[in-house]
Amino acid sequence: MEINDKDTLTIVEHIKNFARRHSLFVLAYGTGCGAIEIPPTMTSRYDAERFGIVGRATPRQADVLLITGYLSVKTLKRVIRTYEQMQDPKYVIGFGSCTINGGMYWDSYNTIKVLDQYMPVDVYINGCMPRPESVISGFIKLQQLIKAGKADGWKKYQENLDWYRANQKKVIKNWNMPDYNW
Amino acid sequence: MSDRIQDLQKSLSEGLPQCSVEIRRHGGVELISSKENLVGVLAYLREHFGYRHLSHISCVDWLEQNQFELVYILWNYESRIQLFVKVRLARVNGSGISVRHLWPQADTYEREIAEMYGLPFDGNENPRELILEDWDNKPPMRRDFDTRAYSKEAFYDRPGREDAKDVRSVISGRSGEEIPEIAIPYTRK
Amino acid sequence: MREKETTLYLGPQHPGITGNMMVKLKVTGDTIVRAETHVGYLHRGFEKLMEVRNWMQVFPIVCRICVPEPDPNEENLARAIEILEGREVPERAQYIRVMVLELARLASYLLWFGGQSGSAGLYTMPQWSVGDRDYILDLFEELTGGRVYHMYIWAGGVRRDLPEGFADKVLRVMDYLEKRLKHYDNLMLDNSIFQKRAQGVGVIDREKALDWGIVGPPLRGCGFKHDVRIDDPYLVYDKLQFEVPTETGCDVWARALVRRREFEQSISIIRQIMEKMPGGEFYNKVPNPLHWKVPAGDVYVKTESARGEFGYYVVSDGSDKPRRVHVRGPAYVHGITLLEHLLQGANLADVSFIMNSLGTCPPEMER
Repeated sequence: MEINDKDTLTIVEHIKNFARRHSLFVLAYGTGCGAIEIPPTMTSRYDAERFGIVGRATPRQADVLLITGYLSVKTLKRVIRTYEQMQDPKYVIGFGSCTINGGMYWDSYNTIKVLDQYMPVDVYINGCMPRPESVISGFIKLQQLIKAGKADGWKKYQENLDWYRANQKKVIKNWNMPDYNW
Repeated sequence: MSDRIQDLQKSLSEGLPQCSVEIRRHGGVELISSKENLVGVLAYLREHFGYRHLSHISCVDWLEQNQFELVYILWNYESRIQLFVKVRLARVNGSGISVRHLWPQADTYEREIAEMYGLPFDGNENPRELILEDWDNKPPMRRDFDTRAYSKEAFYDRPGREDAKDVRSVISGRSGEEIPEIAIPYTRK
Repeated sequence: MREKETTLYLGPQHPGITGNMMVKLKVTGDTIVRAETHVGYLHRGFEKLMEVRNWMQVFPIVCRICVPEPDPNEENLARAIEILEGREVPERAQYIRVMVLELARLASYLLWFGGQSGSAGLYTMPQWSVGDRDYILDLFEELTGGRVYHMYIWAGGVRRDLPEGFADKVLRVMDYLEKRLKHYDNLMLDNSIFQKRAQGVGVIDREKALDWGIVGPPLRGCGFKHDVRIDDPYLVYDKLQFEVPTETGCDVWARALVRRREFEQSISIIRQIMEKMPGGEFYNKVPNPLHWKVPAGDVYVKTESARGEFGYYVVSDGSDKPRRVHVRGPAYVHGITLLEHLLQGANLADVSFIMNSLGTCPPEMER
């Protein structure tokens, strides 16, 4: 049976988004110094689990890729590969000032400055370093975006893959990664 | 303490007449060696003076004199006096000498210097890159490498944020939020 | 039958790794034949950036070199500049600095408690110790304004005086932590699972420990009483009473015991400081930071951090920017030479356990 009724589809989408926003599985990948504020966020004092935010070990299980801080060129390559391994729908949170405009690494020869040139970012959390409260507030912002159906960075990535690839290949000189076919 | 340093300086200059030994103004003893003598000097210090702990190998780029300076920082657990062994190398086509047969951890330090300064070490044929990946520019720690120009060319800037200008009012205008009291720009009254 | 050799990549994305690094393992069955550490994922070019900043601008950079414990970096750089300049540090500032360094050590050990037992599968311990670490971070926040990065220790002293009633709060947290240690023991060190995992694992050869430049708890776990605070005293450590605990096991268990006993010593140091804290100035003002020139010279300073000797080699050529700042993090040796050595013949399940016990911290290996 195929449902093409518009109202039914809206309801189905609504239910899907409800489920998605209350079980945000975060990939345990500390890409930068922001990783130090993740243990306090996840453990007893701030307890992010009450919002459904749980750590996950492998990219296949995770929904959210948390970029905790600056990305050096070497890490960027691994992060792109990790991101492409994740299942749809997937969300990216840029954590810290250095993902927004370079922060204090604005003239470093080995760190990228603007994260959304290389992968789609749904929510940015500013600060160096952001407190656990702001991390949680960033996650809640992401939940609101999912509820409104606006967290569609993963769709943008598929649509504009050529543009992202060109940017990525400008920085990563030796591109020897598999191409995933969605 | 100063007596012991003077004793050490005396015995070092007797034991190693090919090096100049000085007491440092900021503590410790400094020994200036030539590249040919370096391994012999370090092995002698290690065997006869108890300098077992190699804290660090550091490299300084003296661009004006066209030289690299390698600094071996040693520590003696018994006498507790820091020792600096310095050697000057040619900046162009120069090379250092590996001491990783004396201290295995020197391998890492040498790999780092070789990568960051482009200074190869004889006897350390460890071709693996340590820190950078696919780097095809000048070795980044050399003084004549301009990190700001490289970064401007290689990476994107966020439009409107190329400089350190105050953008708080722009951001608040974009999102429609008021600037909280703690974030209002400071003005001199 | 000869078993096949397999290559495993542990990291950079792996929950058991202590930061963003990678260990390439060659395994037969679950025994490691050869290990190779790959670093460089966190390289920000700090040493280059320091050469293009002026002396005051370097302070926000150095604290980002070691994330769990940023204060030894600031202390090192500040002391290096003070030695080069011959600048006096007021006594009150020295006491405050020791307090900050010891609080940072406690915070670092609490994180280690969590990591070490978490890598053994005891997941309650991180919930407790990381939660308790927040009490120390709260103290830092009140004192310096920052939870993680403090930028508090400056050349010539510290940035701010202690707030009112701060000493009481510190002592209250110390009492609380001392009370909690009992529970930590019950959960972790008296736990037979932990004991069986830790004893006889990751054994360092005693002679190699001295020759290879191993520092901090791994060296003291081999029975050598070496600590920068005793060997080469800085600040006011020579006026304080404390022990340097040693163990003779050379294994993960010995290193855990050393850290556990140092935790008590740090609490006692902080109590002594609060008792002896003198009044007076807390900052010997530096000239205008924009035109601040440090006399030419070179100096190697070191501080005992929670993982061992943290050294800075600072060279000034008399200008307003550093000529060279070279950082020697303790994890430099522990994470590459020693880890590769210890993992040979170890069990695959012990990799992250050994890595935690050595205090491998990637940002200080590659800056």
